[in-house]
Amino acid sequence: MKWCYITFRSITPAQRGEAALRQAGVRAELRRTPAAMAEKGCGYCLVVRPERGAQAAEILRTSGVRFRKIYLADGLGRGEELPL
Amino acid sequence: MIYLDNGATSFPKPAGVGAAMAAAVHRCANPGRGGYGAAMAAAEVVFRCRTFAAELFGCGQEQVVFTPGCTYGLNVAIRTLLEPGDRVVISGFEHNAVTRPLWAMGAETIVAGRRLFDWDDTLEQWEQALKSKPKAAVFTHVSNVFGYILPVDQMSALCRRYGVPFAVDAAQSAGMLPVEPEKWDADFVAMPGHKGLLGPQGTGILVCRRMPVPLIAGGTGSESHSMQMPDYLPDRAEAGTVNVPGIAGLSAGLESVAALGIQTIFQREREQAAFCADKLNKMGMHVFSGPHQSGTLSFLPGGDCEATARELARLGIAVRAGLHCAPLAHESAGTAETGTVRLSFGHRAGPEQSRAFLRAMNRISPGSP
Repeated sequence: MKWCYITFRSITPAQRGEAALRQAGVRAELRRTPAAMAEKGCGYCLVVRPERGAQAAEILRTSGVRFRKIYLADGLGRGEELPL
Repeated sequence: MIYLDNGATSFPKPAGVGAAMAAAVHRCANPGRGGYGAAMAAAEVVFRCRTFAAELFGCGQEQVVFTPGCTYGLNVAIRTLLEPGDRVVISGFEHNAVTRPLWAMGAETIVAGRRLFDWDDTLEQWEQALKSKPKAAVFTHVSNVFGYILPVDQMSALCRRYGVPFAVDAAQSAGMLPVEPEKWDADFVAMPGHKGLLGPQGTGILVCRRMPVPLIAGGTGSESHSMQMPDYLPDRAEAGTVNVPGIAGLSAGLESVAALGIQTIFQREREQAAFCADKLNKMGMHVFSGPHQSGTLSFLPGGDCEATARELARLGIAVRAGLHCAPLAHESAGTAETGTVRLSFGHRAGPEQSRAFLRAMNRISPGSP
């Protein structure tokens, strides 16, 4: 199954993002970013169901939470980057 | 013990502080590094405290930088705002946490406003000093020696009018008076976690409204490929592992402050300080009191201040005597030779503390009127 990974530059914005999504009723899991997606080495991401990806991105934008990229990938982080 | 040295550290802490720290020691690994349960538990502890602090100080979570204490935060602010030899304006009541880093970097320091409890004088001197085009200003919200609450709203506005970036030392005000970095438009506001915020020693908060120069460089758990410190907060100013048990305790402290309410805390402290000032005056002591004063009070006991403090300690009253790490404040008030005895009430301030202190003072100074 594929999941939507939203990557962040560090844990604090990822945590802010998790809180914003939770408040909006979108379930998101905070995890270490898979190495293939961690551009600059080390990072955290929020994993949401793929059908919630666009909604999650919009919630983060309107909440002022900056994220890096969005990927559609499997549980091992193999997948492709989605356009923002 | 009747503890009246909250200007040094709040004591004892609310019960939840120790419990929170112990829980963190047993449950928390390193935040922002791993992805397993204990690491995420640590991350949650840290984020929770950041969120509390952000709400209390009206800023974003990422603007809340955890430090080992107010002194560290002030050093970050000073190193960011100033280069060696730059001109800086400070008030006449600064702590060594401000004056020593400035001295160490050879700053040209202009001291503005040396009259206790006199807002007109402070503001007039402040504005005059800002006209000399300093690179930055650094000033305390409340004097740790005399409890003088400086007109920080107006001083901030003057800094903005003259285009002078500034940092505020909120060591003696956080948890007791509104600390409002956004309203002041301050570049930095530094505070300890272990005084009015009721957290443990080894913690502090620096609210950063501009990007700081990192005081130290090291691992941040982010952008590990890069040899430069991240160019975003809070990572840029939090190299190394933060004090997770301390931050857990600080969270509990912030909860206690929020539960009590800073207005209540200030009122309690102020009432007792004013009561003691009145009684000490009647005992013939030289008391430094006036309008715009917190729950901190200094007086001259008529004898050696350290000897008085020692006698008070023997009678179970904890106060601090001497120069209080603030020789500049004592120079401004004319007490640099003698020092003072300082009472600093805390969130538990109450009449029983004042009565116990005054009974002890009557025993030490039996001939007083």
